[in-house]
Amino acid sequence: MDIRPEIQIQSMIKSMVEVVLPAIDPEHKLAQEQARLLIGTLQLVAKRLPVAYRYDCDELRRYVDFARDLARRAGTAVDASTRAELDGLVARGVAVLEAALIEPTDIEAAAFALRAATSQIVDEVCKLGSPQKKEAVRELVLAASKVEVQREQALVIDMGFEMDPSKRPPPIEAQLPPLQVRDR
Amino acid sequence: MLLTTIDKDNPSAEWIASLRKRFPVEKEVDRVLTRKLQQRRGPPFAPVSLETLCGGLTSLLRTQLTDGFEIRDAKWLSGGASKLQVSLKLEWTQPDVGRTVTPMVLRMEPAASIVETSRLREAQIINAVRDLLPVPSIYWIDEEGEHLPYPAIVYGFAEGVAKPSGTVSNVTGLGINYGRQLRQTLGQQYVEHLALLHTWDWSRAALGSLDVPALGTQAVEWQLNWWERVWEEDSHRDIPLMRLAAAWLRDHMPATQHLALIHGDYRPGNFLFTEHDQRISAWLDWELGHLGDYHEDVAYTTMPYLGHMSEDGKQFLASGMMPAEMLYEAYERSSGLTVEPKIIDYYQVFHAYRSIVIVIASGYRPTRNGKTHQDLLLNWIMGIGYSILGYLRDKLEEVG
Repeated sequence: MDIRPEIQIQSMIKSMVEVVLPAIDPEHKLAQEQARLLIGTLQLVAKRLPVAYRYDCDELRRYVDFARDLARRAGTAVDASTRAELDGLVARGVAVLEAALIEPTDIEAAAFALRAATSQIVDEVCKLGSPQKKEAVRELVLAASKVEVQREQALVIDMGFEMDPSKRPPPIEAQLPPLQVRDR
Repeated sequence: MLLTTIDKDNPSAEWIASLRKRFPVEKEVDRVLTRKLQQRRGPPFAPVSLETLCGGLTSLLRTQLTDGFEIRDAKWLSGGASKLQVSLKLEWTQPDVGRTVTPMVLRMEPAASIVETSRLREAQIINAVRDLLPVPSIYWIDEEGEHLPYPAIVYGFAEGVAKPSGTVSNVTGLGINYGRQLRQTLGQQYVEHLALLHTWDWSRAALGSLDVPALGTQAVEWQLNWWERVWEEDSHRDIPLMRLAAAWLRDHMPATQHLALIHGDYRPGNFLFTEHDQRISAWLDWELGHLGDYHEDVAYTTMPYLGHMSEDGKQFLASGMMPAEMLYEAYERSSGLTVEPKIIDYYQVFHAYRSIVIVIASGYRPTRNGKTHQDLLLNWIMGIGYSILGYLRDKLEEVG
């Protein structure tokens, strides 16, 4: 899916700066101010988005450490059941951090590389492979594409391009399997 | 080697040369695509004011007109996904008419476009078919952007609307619902005009920017080369299904024994009609025109994303006009040509492939580099690509 927030936000800012803002009545002060705030907010989101995940991990790590230190210093001033609850939350935080060692951009890059490599192999088998190999690859691509396209369609369904109600995919939330850490 | 990294935003001369060699296309198409890559590393699109455009037009007109002229009432138009459009009025001395005021449209390319095409070819085709079909007049072209910031064309303003007044559609005229009554009168003209175009003898027309393919498969091979080349040039994330589709299209190219002038984007949203008499008043967007098999245009009119379900939800209306079978029959009656279902299937796969190349690959690349006046619209249009991918997958399964 090439429709990504970073490009969408960049395009929204460009549209606001180059087209919408110059067309707003200079005397409509509220609209002028809101438009500029909108641009500023989008610029902020665009700048912060790439580090948002790392920031969240850092925040969790700091709070795991802080909770441990706090429990140690508070000692018996905290009752046993509260202490047990806090220990459980710390353990959960540690487990999440252990699973969160990869940046989202690394996941994206790994999938990008595999897309390129598998596409190249499909290309080569279709050009040079035996009829049996070609048929086997064809079946595999069609099966994998069925799953992929259904997910992609669900991501963009609200854009209103799907004209056939029978082709509406299940919501994306229902299609995506839970991540492993969430099952713990 | 699996992981050859190509910086498509900064294409090297070697990479451009290798694409040109791998994918031979018509000379004019090659010129336009090569120019696109050579200019890619250039600056993003800079907003252009109406004053700048009028200044550029004034410069162009000074090379064309000897008497005085005045440009008035310039206003931005929306509608297209690929070019900037401005309506204006020109007071001038028109040959054979005298002093007059003519409404016109200036259509200019941005720094990069969702479809890179030739203004020369567009002008030649429109001039060639002006006695055959309703088309806007062509006045002047600035082929290389010598006077205007980018290549541009000046049309006569065509009366009419793209969709019934007061109705809504998605962007670029997708999903237009003409309503029960209007679709009957427009539908008949829609098919008749297509039949007229495909049975017209283009061989004596001034179409020097179009190469003439040999009978057989050369026309479709040029088309495959064109769009596979654009996929290589513009795509970001690769899609294995697109590779499978390209291979299938190569393996099943149908031969043609009748070369027709193909509009290339014959669909609702690309014609205007006058509401008072319900007549098609102008066919627009000829930039994808070429010589090829008439099935190519006919199949396009039946693509699922160009039509909608009937009001009772029982049948799909091709181009929002009529069921596909009815459209084929009407076309055969009007043209005397036979519609071959297997060749329609082929071109439906082709159009799904081409449309995905355009909206996903060429929607992405200019947007990423800030190259157009409406990156946000291109971003939005990319959304339709994923519905078309679903159609392409199902169609490939169906055709075997």
